[in-house]
Parts: sequence; structure tokens; C-alpha cells
Amino acid sequence: MKSARIESHPDFPVPTGQKEIRFRFQGREITALEGDTVAAALIAAGVETFSRSFKYHRRRGLYDNAGYGTDTLLDVDASPNVIADRTLAREGMEIRTQNAWPSVGFDVMAVNDTVVPLLPNGFYYKMFHKPKALWPLAEKAIRKAAGIGRIDTSGRGTDLRYEKRYRFPDVCVVGGGPAGLSAAKAAAEEGKQVLLIEQLPTLGGHSAHTIPEHQRVSELQAGLEADDRVEILTNTSAFGVYEENLVAAVQGRDQFKIRAEAVVLAPGALERHLVFENNDLPGIMTGRASERLVLLHGVRPGSRAVVVTNHDGGEHTARVLKGAGVEVAAVVDARQGRTIQRAKGRTRVTAAVVGARDGSGQTETIPCDLIVIAVGYTPNLALLAMGRKRPIWDPEQQVFRSETLPDRMYACGEVQGPATFVRLLKEGEAAGIAAARLEPAPPIERSAEDRIDALPPTVGRCKGKAFVCRCMDVTTDEIARSQAEGFDQLEKLKRYTGLGMGICQGKVCYEAAARIVDPEIGPTTFRPPAVPVSFGVLAGRAPHLVPIRRTPTHDVHVRAGAKFLDVGQWKRPESYIAPALESKKVREGLGMIDVSTLGKIEVSGPDVQAFLHFMLPGKFKKLAVGRVRYGVMINEDGILFEDGTIAHIDEGRYVISTTTGNQDAILESFYWWQTTEGFDVRIRNLSQALAAMNLSGDTSRRFLSKLVEIDMSNEAFPYMGCRKATIEGVNVTLFRIGFTGDLSYEVHFPAEYGESMWELLMEKGKPYGLFPFGVETQRILRLEKGHLLPGVDTDALSTPYEAGVGFAVKDDKPDFIGRAFLKQFKERGVRDRLVLYKLKPGDPIPGDGVTIRENGKAIGRVTSSRRSPTLGAGIGLCWVPKDLAEPGSRITIRLADGRDVDGEVLEHAAYDPEGVKLKQ
Amino acid sequence: MSFLLTCPNCGKRPVQEFTFKGEYKKRPAPDAPFEAWTSYVFMAANRAGRQTEWWFHRNGCQRWFLTERDTTNNTDHRSVWFEKRTD
Repeated sequence: MKSARIESHPDFPVPTGQKEIRFRFQGREITALEGDTVAAALIAAGVETFSRSFKYHRRRGLYDNAGYGTDTLLDVDASPNVIADRTLAREGMEIRTQNAWPSVGFDVMAVNDTVVPLLPNGFYYKMFHKPKALWPLAEKAIRKAAGIGRIDTSGRGTDLRYEKRYRFPDVCVVGGGPAGLSAAKAAAEEGKQVLLIEQLPTLGGHSAHTIPEHQRVSELQAGLEADDRVEILTNTSAFGVYEENLVAAVQGRDQFKIRAEAVVLAPGALERHLVFENNDLPGIMTGRASERLVLLHGVRPGSRAVVVTNHDGGEHTARVLKGAGVEVAAVVDARQGRTIQRAKGRTRVTAAVVGARDGSGQTETIPCDLIVIAVGYTPNLALLAMGRKRPIWDPEQQVFRSETLPDRMYACGEVQGPATFVRLLKEGEAAGIAAARLEPAPPIERSAEDRIDALPPTVGRCKGKAFVCRCMDVTTDEIARSQAEGFDQLEKLKRYTGLGMGICQGKVCYEAAARIVDPEIGPTTFRPPAVPVSFGVLAGRAPHLVPIRRTPTHDVHVRAGAKFLDVGQWKRPESYIAPALESKKVREGLGMIDVSTLGKIEVSGPDVQAFLHFMLPGKFKKLAVGRVRYGVMINEDGILFEDGTIAHIDEGRYVISTTTGNQDAILESFYWWQTTEGFDVRIRNLSQALAAMNLSGDTSRRFLSKLVEIDMSNEAFPYMGCRKATIEGVNVTLFRIGFTGDLSYEVHFPAEYGESMWELLMEKGKPYGLFPFGVETQRILRLEKGHLLPGVDTDALSTPYEAGVGFAVKDDKPDFIGRAFLKQFKERGVRDRLVLYKLKPGDPIPGDGVTIRENGKAIGRVTSSRRSPTLGAGIGLCWVPKDLAEPGSRITIRLADGRDVDGEVLEHAAYDPEGVKLKQ
Repeated sequence: MSFLLTCPNCGKRPVQEFTFKGEYKKRPAPDAPFEAWTSYVFMAANRAGRQTEWWFHRNGCQRWFLTERDTTNNTDHRSVWFEKRTD
């Protein structure tokens, strides 16, 4: 094909004087001009084959020049599936073709087109199914052969940022053609904030290259660009319209979520797809595609053209081509009884065979290097029809139309059927005004002059390769064979052949397919996403929506060189030096851990005791002021989901401490039961108002005695007690509890003192060798003491009785959460139990989650496993059947590498089994 | 789901701000048969149409309320405080 740049056009100001840009295509340097799409630059450089087709690996080139199909997907800078006709050329781009090996010029898989001409319909289901043993191999080969694009696994591109962005306009207009521009202008003039989104890099739609309408359209565009009330997003495709006018759109790697008072859909129409033999050869393109190349990019798409048409638009296209110096060999107008029968050519089109519309009589072969198809327009219904009624065929306008739209959603322009330019402008204006005023949608009118008769969906003999669905390579032959096999309805046919499942999601072929199969039933269902969206865009990166939560003492941990661990949204110090060393320091002296992330819920009020008795399975009537009790939380299904402490701080005022991860859910459930059962209590969430440190170790009492004025003796402040005190004038609450197994005190104080309190304690603690320890250290220490972690050591089947905390359930209360199921579980008895075990010194440490085996069967599992620095051996918690739960039982743990180690079930904690340390 | 849910306190807000707790059900009496309890805990009517549900305005006023919603279109709904329910 001879294509070249043109300097001028008699009817249109083609762009001139643009800067040169260089990029590489398959290693070859291409010179483009600024403002070129990649596709335009490639056509100007004489590139005809952009890709190989999905199944038959046929050569494909530029077809609609609007980026709807798979044919123009390229790999740009290691990002696969970049749409060449929507992407502007940039300096230094590195572009490769996809779906062909070794190249699109010589593609080994093209044998599918010739040597294997009978690649069967429904080929995924049929091919290689027998012999069965070959299927895995065949499947692998098919997948590789059929895929499009390749993900770069080299690590390049891992720093790509995907963002979510938000807009809240009064009116969102989808589509920047004449109707959309006009709607945006009208809505803005009504005083509304308007967001206009357009999928192509330029505004104006088809009018931007229609003579002389382009002048009116550029005036409209200039007016909108100067209007502060209007924001314009180009290169932005709406991929879904959801409830209450949420428009989801994609722009490069950004996802836009647009919530609008009113939405005007003006997505326009695609050139009508005509099915004839060899209709996919490079060198065949739509009328608008060729006009866009010539007038917007100054690129001549061929030297000798045949224009196939049935309306006045064909004459316009011919005029555009002639003005660019293309010889128009024929304008084949179906209104005069003739149309195309088939295209000829192997690697590209070389001739058009034309003949009578009904296929009778003689045909004429016209040599050419360009066939332009301009036979009408197919409304781009995807966004209108999504999740709503099936579009129906309008015999008057000869298009499928989507009639019903929800309130505050309007549709105008060619999506309602083709119309004259003046009508498109008026219709857009009316829709824009209605949207601004939230009035009912104005009626859509069309007259005889707007109508373009639809040719039959297929023309000519359609033998061999006549493509209905270009994306998925579905031919008329394949449809006929599948119908003969019983897949006679379009929805079934779609699932069997893949018809309409490609990148364009049926936007190109839905009309042809529906008319071939059954125009009464109409096209298959449109669903989001309406345009291709990468997973990165959907997943996004929205740090502003998921906060990073830091404790009030975060910076001192950073300065101390802590390694951090993500616990939910929280950043917690995992360790400062090494967990084993830190745990030794706690056991031998004094350590401090930041436990500010724990939930702290204060409950008070007249019904507080009744509330606690209802919420928790324990009893708290005898819990005196100044005392703390261990408690568990049970869901209504009787399953253990949380443990913590309940402290009676002042008369009638209790503080419940929860784990970091469950605090929000627990607070929600407290509020819920308060609402449903009508308890007169006051619930305060102090979780972030208070910071908390745990001081742990034999010298913790001596150390704290120096800082507080209260009597810290074992008699005055016993184990499981709580006291109010002050440290340097700051009000603190001390809780003498023992998660680590050593004598320890939790210090709660206002969060604003976080850093200074930490530093004060560290400074005063120097003579005691006070050292910070992290979460991992604490996990080792608690495991040595045998404390379970809900959600780690328990799951959705763990009853409190089996988890070993049945002592915290007092079921002789009239009503409390989980009572009915706990009663059932108690009667059922214990099946499995959570127990502690230890290994022999020197044995390898199992990973968390490995199985416990007996006679070759998995009978239990390890939930937490660590090396105990105190014992110098592995310890852990595991679930085993109750007959293996007796102290001294031997269990066999299967390591991840397949070896077995023997463990011994313990009766008491590995550390301080008598609990002397806690109570000293 | 992209709809706007009405909080009796804060008005229409994106549904992502709320926690959903399922259908509104009456809790059985403490001594009700165990079948009544299993049905209360595990069974849901899953109506296609209007049903009353529990919602919590998590990222807002932190209040629980009831919403009667058409589950087939999500849009047409009515929210009330639990105390003002009419069932």
C-alpha cells in the first residue's frame, strides 16, 4: 500500500508543521508527527499488519481507527494491550506486536488459517479432548496460542502507580461528539458544573472530520474549553454506569469514580459492521476511520480505493479521499442496487469484487488497495443497555435501540440512531437542559432524512472466512455449524463460540450477530466493563481510603530502629534487636512494649452490670472496684472470637480491653446490642484516646514504685488488680495482668503524652536495664505461658470448651449472647482440644499451620509454633483429638519438608507452670 | 454496589461508609427450642424484593438503624431508627 503524508486538503485545514517524534516499532525506527496516534504514525510509515487474529492468526490492520477491537492492540514499553488508535505517539516509545511468533509478518500459528482450515467451532471444548491424556499439554498450547498480550514478569513496571480519582459534577456527559458537546454547553449555561469525558484523545467525534460541520464543532469545543464550569477529560472511557449515577471511567492508569446528579450518555455510534468474505484483510477500513486518518492526521490510507456505501456519508468519504489524492476507483452504492461481494488478497486487500445487492448476475473485480466500508451506523449501546432491558430492533430507524433509562439519566445523539448534524446538536442541547433541571427526558425524534437503510447483515457468498466477530475470529461458517449443532440462540452461541466476548464486548458485531440469528430476540446482554480495564486500574492504590495507623509513640520506635509489622491497619514494632534476645531480657530483667493499639472500651451507666452479663459469658457481680478479670467473647453461634480483660475502675465504670484487630467489630456489636436490647449504658471508645505500655519482668514493681505515689506492694496491689495513679503529674491507670507470664503492669495514659512518657520511662528505667520489646517477642513470651490468640489459635469452629477457656463461661445466667449454642456444645462434649506441646531440644521448629498425624492421617494441626528461648526447645499450641490431649501424650508433627518430629503434650505452661512469678 | 444509603442522622451517603448486618430478625426467647436458635443464627430469607435490614454508619455517626430496601434494584429504600420501627 502506498500511503503518505499529505500537506494540504482542498476542503479541510489538515494539521501542518508539527514537531517530529521518533519511536521504535519491532526494532524499526518510525518517525511520527506530534498529535499522531500510534496507529496513524504506523499507517503513514507503511505498516499494514498490526496484529494476528485470535484463532486463525490472520493478518489484521487498522479497521475502525477508534480503538474498539483487538486488531490494534500493541505492547508499548512492556505494557500489553495498549490501543494503537487511541494512544498518542510519544518520543522513545518501544512498541512490539502481540499474539504472533516470531513476528506478525511471519507467524507460525498462521497454519491455523490454511493447513488446519477446519479448526472446529467450539474448538476449546472439542479439540484434543481425545485422547484424554494429551489434554493438559494441548490446553497449554492452545492457551498460549490464543492469548493476547504478554505480561512482563521481568520486574519492569512494578513501580507503576494506579490511582483512584473522584469527581462530583452536577452533570456528567459521556461522549464528546456533537451531541455531547452540545449537552455540556447547555448544562453549563444552566449554571451547572459539568464533567465531559471522551474516550479519544480529541473532541468532536465524527463531526471533527466532517466537512463543513467541523467548524461549528471546533467553535463549540473552544467555548467549552474556556468555560470554568466545564471540566473535560479526554482519553477517558466510561466502563460502567452504576446505581445512583456512579460513572466509572478509566484514563490510562487512573480510575475515575464520578458521582453525578444527572448523567447524559452520548457515546455515539460505531460504523456498521458488514459481513462478507475476507472482510478482515488489512486495507479494509471504515469510512470514519479513513476520514480521521486523512483529515486529523494528514495521512493517506491508500492510493486506489473502493468505497462501499448506502448513504450520503459515502459520498463525503469519497470526497475526503479524493482531496487527499486517493484515486477512488468506484463508489459502490447499495441504493443503486450494487454492493461488495467479497474482498480479494492474501496479505492485504488487492481487489474488491462487486455485484448485485442480492448476489445475482455478474460480478466485477476492481483492483484496489483500500476498501472503505461506509454502510451506516450501529448505536454504541453498551452503557445504555447495561443491566437493563434488551435493546429492540427499530424497523423505522433500522437500528437496535435501548428505550428505558432510569431517572436522571439521559441519552442523546447517534446512540439513539443516526441523525443529521443539526438534529444531533439540538438533541444534545435538549438533553443538557433536561439534565441540568432534572426534568423528564425530552422525546427522541427521527425523520426519513435521518434514516439509513440497513443492508442485510451478510452480503455475497460468505464462503470461507467471513468474519462476524473480529475479536474472537467467529465466521459465518462457524455460526452456521454451531446452530446446526443446536446452539441456535444467540446467548448459547456466544458461550459456545466466544462470539462477542472479545475486547469490544460485542460493540462492533452485536447488530450483525443478532440479525443473523434472530433480530426479534436482539443482542446478548451488555455488562460492565464496557471497555477493557486492567486489573491494576480496578485494584488501584487508594492510601487515602485505607489509613496507615501509627501509635502515639511511633516515632520513638523508628528512632530505636524497630522493625515494623502490619497488624491490620496498624504499624507495630515487631522487634528492635532480635526476638530471642528481647525475650531473654524480659525474663531476666525488665522490658517494655507499646500496646497502645489494644482496644479500650469504657462502659458505664445504670444497666452496666446487666449489659456486661448479657454481652459476655462471664459474671461480674463480684468484681470489686480495683479488680480485673479475664474474659472471653462469644458470638451468638457459640464460637469463641475474642478474649481480653474487664477492669472495674470506678464504681459502675468498667474498661474492657480487646485485641487490636477486633476492636471495631466489638464496638459495633456493643452499640448494636445496646440498640436492640435497650440497655441504659454509656459506651465510650477510648482506644485512641489512651496510649498503653506494658512493663514486664521481675523488677517491674520496684521500678514503678519509684515513679508512682501509691502502695505497689503485693498485698495492696495484687495480681489482677487495677489502680489509678500519677506519673510526673500525668494521670495513669495501672493494670497488673500477665500476658507475658512475668510480673507485669499495663500503664494506660492520655495518648498526647505518648512519646514523652515512653522516653521518661526509658530514661528512668536505665538502672534496671529497661529494654523495649516488640510484638514477635511478646508472641514468644505468651506462647511460653500458654496463652491463646483468638483468630490465630482459634477459628470459626472453636468452642470455648475446646479452646480451654471454658472456665470463663458461667452458663447459669438467664440470657446472654451465645447461651443456646454453648448449652448445645456442652452437651455434645469436647471432641478436639487446643493444647500446649513441647519438642526435644535440637528438634527443628515446625511452621505455623502444619499437620499432626497418626497412622498416616492428619488428625490435628499446629496453630502457633516458636522456639522457646527459656526452654531452648520448640513449643507451640495445637489442636488434637481429646484422647491425645492428656498431659504426657505423644504427638507426631509433620514438617513442611515431609519429616516428622515428636512432641509431648504439656499440662501447664512451659514457663512458670505454677504461676508464681505473676503472683509474687 | 454503588448506591447511596440514607442514614437517619447524616442523610444519603455512599454505601461503602456503612456496615451491613443482614436481615432484621427477631431474637428467639432464651428458652426457645434449639431449632429456633439455629434458624435465627444461620438462616436468611434472602428476599428478592423489599426487606428490612440492619445497617451501621461506620464512617459517620456510628449509629445502627433499619433500612427497608428493594434488593432487586438497591435504590428505592427507607431508613428508620430501631425505636421507630413499625413491625
